[in-house]
Amino acid sequence: MTPAREIITPKNQMLNVSRNLNLPHSPGIRAGDLIFLSGMVSVDPATGERSLGTVAHETRQILSNMAHMLESAGSSLERVVKINVLLYDMLEFENMNAVYREFFPHDPPARTTCGVQLSSGLKVEIDCIAIV
Amino acid sequence: MAAGYGWPQSTAVRAGDYVFVSGVVAIDPGTGERVNGTVTSEAHRVFQNLKLVLESAGTSLERMVQVRAMIYDRIEYDALNRVYRQYVPNGPPARTVWSVQIIDAFKVQLDAIAVA
Repeated sequence: MTPAREIITPKNQMLNVSRNLNLPHSPGIRAGDLIFLSGMVSVDPATGERSLGTVAHETRQILSNMAHMLESAGSSLERVVKINVLLYDMLEFENMNAVYREFFPHDPPARTTCGVQLSSGLKVEIDCIAIV
Repeated sequence: MAAGYGWPQSTAVRAGDYVFVSGVVAIDPGTGERVNGTVTSEAHRVFQNLKLVLESAGTSLERMVQVRAMIYDRIEYDALNRVYRQYVPNGPPARTVWSVQIIDAFKVQLDAIAVA
């Protein structure tokens, strides 16, 4: 008996970037006790538009949206087990961390941070795996 | 496939209900030779190889839950997507695209987690 595979979408459809931009991925998938999210970028939850800004601003917007995504699927930031953070420049590592700590004050998840090319002037992208 | 190069990694590992697949690149599964090409040609080959690996592990492309798609240059994002949507047309997995350097001049590499 293998677990069902279920697509997860945010309650606020402004945050459903893959649908709104017709991209070939789902916002998230639940399978068994785990939730897998796609990479999230900084999006204004009121308009669905990209919300470009500093690394601090984008990190805050993404983690706030990620909390909404996880809560839409019956989970939460506290239940994240693994996170990947993609930054446009590793020089900004501490600027990301300063905001990141606000969202994960205790027993933070496992994490990998990499400096990569991102699209559309965005500075941060974050994906995760969480338990339900 | 990776095992054929003597690299210290398994092609895929099953743990409980999940299958974790190592990064797949454009290798001819018949000969083991690298088939470097365009993002489009490599992405087709990578998906065909990923399908073989997943089916050997008792799962399928349709059962993937999260994919890390690596491309050598962000400018090829749409080229990747055009091929990508052909292989997961309905209910595609969660995905993050990483623009990174890939070994052996490959332009595309995918790794994946699937449910068994």
